[in-house]
Amino acid sequence: MASLLQPNRVVYLVCGEKKIRSPLSQLYFCRYCSELRSLECVSHEVDSHYCPSCLENMPSAEAKLKKNRCANCFDCPCCMHTLSTRATNIPAPLPDDPTKTAMKKAYYLACGFCRWTSRDVGMADKSVEIIYQEGQPDRVLVFFHVTQEKYGLGTRLQRQRSGAPISSLAGLSLKEGEDQKEINIEPAQALDEVEPLPEDCYTRPISLPEVTTLRQRLLQPDFQPAGASQLHPKHKHLLMKRSLRCRKCEHNLSKPEFNPTSIKFKIQLVAVSYIPEVRIMSIPNLRYMKESQVLLTLTNPVETITHVTLVACEEGDSDDINSTAKVIVPTKELVLAGKDAAAEYDELAEPQDFQDDPDVVAFRKSNKIGFFIKVIPQKEEDEDVTVSFKIRHDFRNLAAPIRPSEESAEAVPEAIWLTHHVELSLGPLAN
Amino acid sequence: MPLFEALGSGGEKTAVVIDLGAAYTKCGFAGETGPRFIIPSEIRKPGQQQAIKVVQYNINTEELYVNLKEFIHMLYFRHLLVNPRDRRVVIIESILCPSHFRETLTKVFFKQFEVPSVLFAPSHLMSIMTLGINSALVMDCGYTETLVLPVYECTPILPAWEALPLGGKAIHKEMDGLLVEQCTVDTDSSSGQSVPTVIGTIPEEIIEDIKVRTCFVSDLQRGFKIQEAKFNLDGTAERPAPPPDVDYPLDGEKILHIKGSIRDSVMEILFEQDNEEKSVASLILDALVKCPIDTRKVLSENLVVIGGTAMLPGFLHRLLAEIRLLVEKPKYRDILATKSFRLHSPPAKPNCTAWLGGAIFGALQDILGSRSVSRDYYNQTGRIPDWCCLSSPPPESVFDAGKTPPPLMKRAFSTEK
Repeated sequence: MASLLQPNRVVYLVCGEKKIRSPLSQLYFCRYCSELRSLECVSHEVDSHYCPSCLENMPSAEAKLKKNRCANCFDCPCCMHTLSTRATNIPAPLPDDPTKTAMKKAYYLACGFCRWTSRDVGMADKSVEIIYQEGQPDRVLVFFHVTQEKYGLGTRLQRQRSGAPISSLAGLSLKEGEDQKEINIEPAQALDEVEPLPEDCYTRPISLPEVTTLRQRLLQPDFQPAGASQLHPKHKHLLMKRSLRCRKCEHNLSKPEFNPTSIKFKIQLVAVSYIPEVRIMSIPNLRYMKESQVLLTLTNPVETITHVTLVACEEGDSDDINSTAKVIVPTKELVLAGKDAAAEYDELAEPQDFQDDPDVVAFRKSNKIGFFIKVIPQKEEDEDVTVSFKIRHDFRNLAAPIRPSEESAEAVPEAIWLTHHVELSLGPLAN
Repeated sequence: MPLFEALGSGGEKTAVVIDLGAAYTKCGFAGETGPRFIIPSEIRKPGQQQAIKVVQYNINTEELYVNLKEFIHMLYFRHLLVNPRDRRVVIIESILCPSHFRETLTKVFFKQFEVPSVLFAPSHLMSIMTLGINSALVMDCGYTETLVLPVYECTPILPAWEALPLGGKAIHKEMDGLLVEQCTVDTDSSSGQSVPTVIGTIPEEIIEDIKVRTCFVSDLQRGFKIQEAKFNLDGTAERPAPPPDVDYPLDGEKILHIKGSIRDSVMEILFEQDNEEKSVASLILDALVKCPIDTRKVLSENLVVIGGTAMLPGFLHRLLAEIRLLVEKPKYRDILATKSFRLHSPPAKPNCTAWLGGAIFGALQDILGSRSVSRDYYNQTGRIPDWCCLSSPPPESVFDAGKTPPPLMKRAFSTEK
């Protein structure tokens, strides 16, 4: 019955700008606002950049300079796979003694997937291992630079460095003592004639491997070459790690580690580590208008004892739009033991004594209990039987600063009661 | 070799420039010479094979919001790799974009991504910024349609717009019809099968690839002969010799034999005149006729063609020839005195020219700041002004009595000193 553990079976309601229903495993919990947050109601920020093939972290200033491309890794222009550097031995004359030849290493790039090599486009083998290649359309640069000067009249002054490719021209500050010059750019001249198609276009057979596909062309927006012999490899584009921030209180909900190889988080305020989780354990045959008992489990993620009360949704509840069955939840308060990581190894631990009503609580195991709810399907249609109820539990905010009080010797944060709306999808009616 | 840092004075970061087209989106940063990425304007939902097009005007607002949100999310966090909150946004759009699409896009940017400001720049106006001229007759041959808009002294002459739904989409449809009708597929086991029996419908990506790699636009004389042979009114017209056939591999096993006659005839739909005698070339002359007389000479000598469909081999040459032929026809001969037509070649590929203009404009930080719609303004008024509904005045609470009101979307560029 692994399908009962599917995440979409049990969804929690998030009240933000929009009401979102999402499994608890995909939600975050802001412990400063004491509310659930989903991916849509948090703001995403770029945290760090890294290369996906060499897994090297790149500081953001360097990433900006290199246009978010890795310096060492290349992508195949044909199939976008990562290129590997291969070496061959070529005989080359020694520098000091031209008559003797020695084996020197020559490096070239090759793709392991489509067998493209850098020799196909005419790139010479290099003797240094890192092959750096980047091209800029020069006439665009010069024109761009001059155009920006004209339209930026009176706002910025460019310093012209001859020969230097200008990669970005966003406003530069005025140096002291320099006057603003009025720069005239020549408007472009229109041409009377356009080059016609070459005559052999009508008669020459096409060799498809030599013509680039649209996708290959668009990978290089500046050049967009039509012939495969002009497809040069590009540096690999970086990926980034994201951090999430609550929109209301501006605290971080999730912050990954700096190191690209690490999957841990510096800050990880996920909902499953604060909110008790409801899961479906077993469902009997559900029949129309007949009461059946469904077994659910409730897991306590925190280390303190948690008290949970379940409340059925009232008539006319605005959140209760999907339920197709009536549900009778246990009225008594359920007590969940704290999560104790060492419990299974500690043989001398005394079993905690909770008086459990056997009609309500089916079993209890460390921080988990199984309990029954009664479900009466109200609709006879083919769709899934859905029930919803509210779960009310106490939450101790360990992060909030504790007000220094004169009497208390121990710092025990006050418990606040949180209510969440939960919907379960119990599957179709049995026939 | 010193390289300029991408920081303006005052530490303002470069703006993000996005050209959201119906088929492809060009995105990048202001002040650069080309877009960083040209990606298809579609999103993929997990589990679905068919991608969903983002630029759809007929779906309801909720779905459009979700699609746009996911697409812009992918743009920022997979391609541009920057924080949306830090940078202003310049969006290149078509003037015929429906207001509700603009409003939804603005809502996504302001509410979801919290960008500081948004500027909607018309693509025709931006493309002349790349040339350093003030007036031009701009034709945008895109995916859904071909749109002509004259711009005189940096002001679009809005009443003179002309459009036809002849673009990449129409070409794909025509090509699909021709391939299904005339071509055969060879598989491992059999040969000469008709297309529908082997693969059903041909996916649009494959048709687009066939169009880009094998098709071209014939010159004027040849084009006329092909059109005559197609309509064959006399029964005597003979088609000129078709170019060679192409064997197009569909996947590892199947090969599609594309007839050579398709390669040059499918583009003729752009130049065949329909019942109203409209074709892509006549749009330019019709727009000229609608323009004021004094502007016509300047406009006809400054033609600019942008858009992906204009990158077809032989398109520009044929376009100029068609215009020169049409202007001698009685319909135009007496109205248009100007007979000289000149074409510009912008410093970028035609599919990126409008983007480049936006990038140039986006690099002018002071002007960009004053012309954009800021997030505060949007939060107070709840709407973004469009050229067709500028007139609803902002409420009194927006600005103080002493200050000047915030600028509404007027011209994107002003010649006032």
